[in-house]
Amino acid sequence: MTDPGLFAALSAARHCDAGCSQKHEVWRSGKLRLYRYGAIAESNGAAPLLIVYALVNRPYMMDLQEDRSLIRGLLAKGVDVYLVDWGYPDGADRFTSLADYIDGYLAACVQQILKSRRLDGLNILGVCQGGVLSLCYAALHPEHVRNLITMVTPVDFHTTGDLLSKWVRKIDVAALVGEGNVSGDLLNQLFVSLMPFRLTHQKYAELLRGSADRARIENFMRVESWIFDSPDQAGVAFREFVVWCYQENRLVKNQLEIGGRKIQLRALQLPILNLIGRKDHLVPPDASGALASLVGSDDFTTLEFDLGHIGMYVSARAQREVPTAVASWLARR
Amino acid sequence: MEKDLWQQWQAYVELMFPPGTPSSFAPAPQWFAPYTDAAERFSTEARRFFETVRNAATPAGEAARAFGDSLREQFADFFPKLWGMDPTKGPQGAAWSTAADIPALGLTREHQLRWQRTLEAWSRMNAAQRRLQRVWSDVLQEAATAFAGRLAAAPRSPPNDEALHALYDNWIDCAEQAYASAAHNAEFSEAMAEFINASSEWRRNMKEGIEQYAKLLDLPTRAEINSLLQRLKTLEEQRNGKSSDHAKTRTSDRRRPPRKKSKPSARRKSKP
Repeated sequence: MTDPGLFAALSAARHCDAGCSQKHEVWRSGKLRLYRYGAIAESNGAAPLLIVYALVNRPYMMDLQEDRSLIRGLLAKGVDVYLVDWGYPDGADRFTSLADYIDGYLAACVQQILKSRRLDGLNILGVCQGGVLSLCYAALHPEHVRNLITMVTPVDFHTTGDLLSKWVRKIDVAALVGEGNVSGDLLNQLFVSLMPFRLTHQKYAELLRGSADRARIENFMRVESWIFDSPDQAGVAFREFVVWCYQENRLVKNQLEIGGRKIQLRALQLPILNLIGRKDHLVPPDASGALASLVGSDDFTTLEFDLGHIGMYVSARAQREVPTAVASWLARR
Repeated sequence: MEKDLWQQWQAYVELMFPPGTPSSFAPAPQWFAPYTDAAERFSTEARRFFETVRNAATPAGEAARAFGDSLREQFADFFPKLWGMDPTKGPQGAAWSTAADIPALGLTREHQLRWQRTLEAWSRMNAAQRRLQRVWSDVLQEAATAFAGRLAAAPRSPPNDEALHALYDNWIDCAEQAYASAAHNAEFSEAMAEFINASSEWRRNMKEGIEQYAKLLDLPTRAEINSLLQRLKTLEEQRNGKSSDHAKTRTSDRRRPPRKKSKPSARRKSKP
């Protein structure tokens, strides 16, 4: 039986906002915004941590609500957190390339932080696709990155369990993109099709089963909103990412070039922490785990969590374990 | 697809303007109808299954198969709908195939070729949709068989909410397993890629046709705007490159000590 108050609670929660931590914009360029989060605990003394989120979803998942915020967890550990928000690309951004994102926007964000804080290097946490961008950035500008954390980051795109990769390999991406952007709706269709029964039926059946508890419903609505809040993708960058990574697997072959410069993972000598979700259906553990054997760093740590892709950001367990793991790993360096 | 859009629009209108409450918002559970309907249909079939087994009117295995088949029916158009597929639409039969084969000659040759390419792309889309539907049908068949197998082997629970939920989760597990097994196969990924590739080809030809009309009316086309955007991007890159070179020069100028006052060794040290 569905709780009679459930529908009213859902209606009431339909516009609930995501985001709970105080932040302010420190720099902007085009649609990109660079935010710095307000401290809530005494500083741990480490260099600032720049979170580089994926292009395919919105970064507020990292700070969804008070009890579901990795950023808040990091702030509570005294980490000085910055976040790149790529914004929503529109038709004017269709020719923005991976080089523009990595060596243009991301490099400029790092420069802004280093300049304002009078530092020569910072720490980077790259999430999902943002991890790939971060790996590329660190390879191109090793002098500016002290420590690198990759979270649910695909590195080997041709592992056997990678369903998305299997589908995408035969798609004519140049024809799909044409000279335009790629619709966020198409990406949603693809993602939902990975587990269609769970993601379009069971999820809502579970919602109907539960109580009309306001906190539960608001949490559901925030996650729901995030899942389908998929920005359109700048056409050129999308084509490059899918062809170079998903189809040609260039990153693991040391054949990826950004702005004419080769990305050599072996050249990465800095300390690296790789966070993996064992139940990740989007980025299988093997796809992330491959990084360990590809980088040249002697200081490489892998931490696996018994969580799925989204659970790595918003599950109660992630709140307890991930910020602590990141903060203590950083503190030791 | 159009029907779905119309239903979505109706749901939206009801959301914004609930009947009888023109100035205030009132909750309307019918927005959730697709999910509640699915849950109710499942519950009805599950209760029927329990009843049949309890009354021993039908052998348990047969009742389980009937339950599985009802779910197969219920989910038959679920995946095609997810992708907006409907192979019954578009060019069908011999007429379009003749149109596609007519040799393109004369003044309208290029336009005719474009429309033929559009028809061909549509035909490829339809073929890919039919392939995907066959795979989907196999998935449901396999899921229903696995589900029936589990039901027949499982101990009978009373038809309370908990038992229904367990049954439902069981069905989802069977369905996802069957789907995953198919979705990892080359047949599925090839059909999926073909559907997307044919859609891209169809869209490209449609766009070219629309741009023809835009040119006739002296309206800006997307291709022209793209060309301008590319020029703008090149100019921005040149400007950024120049300003970056300029900044480098300025920085190195600042770092370089005055020649007359510095010693050669000091200059070397000060080099960036």
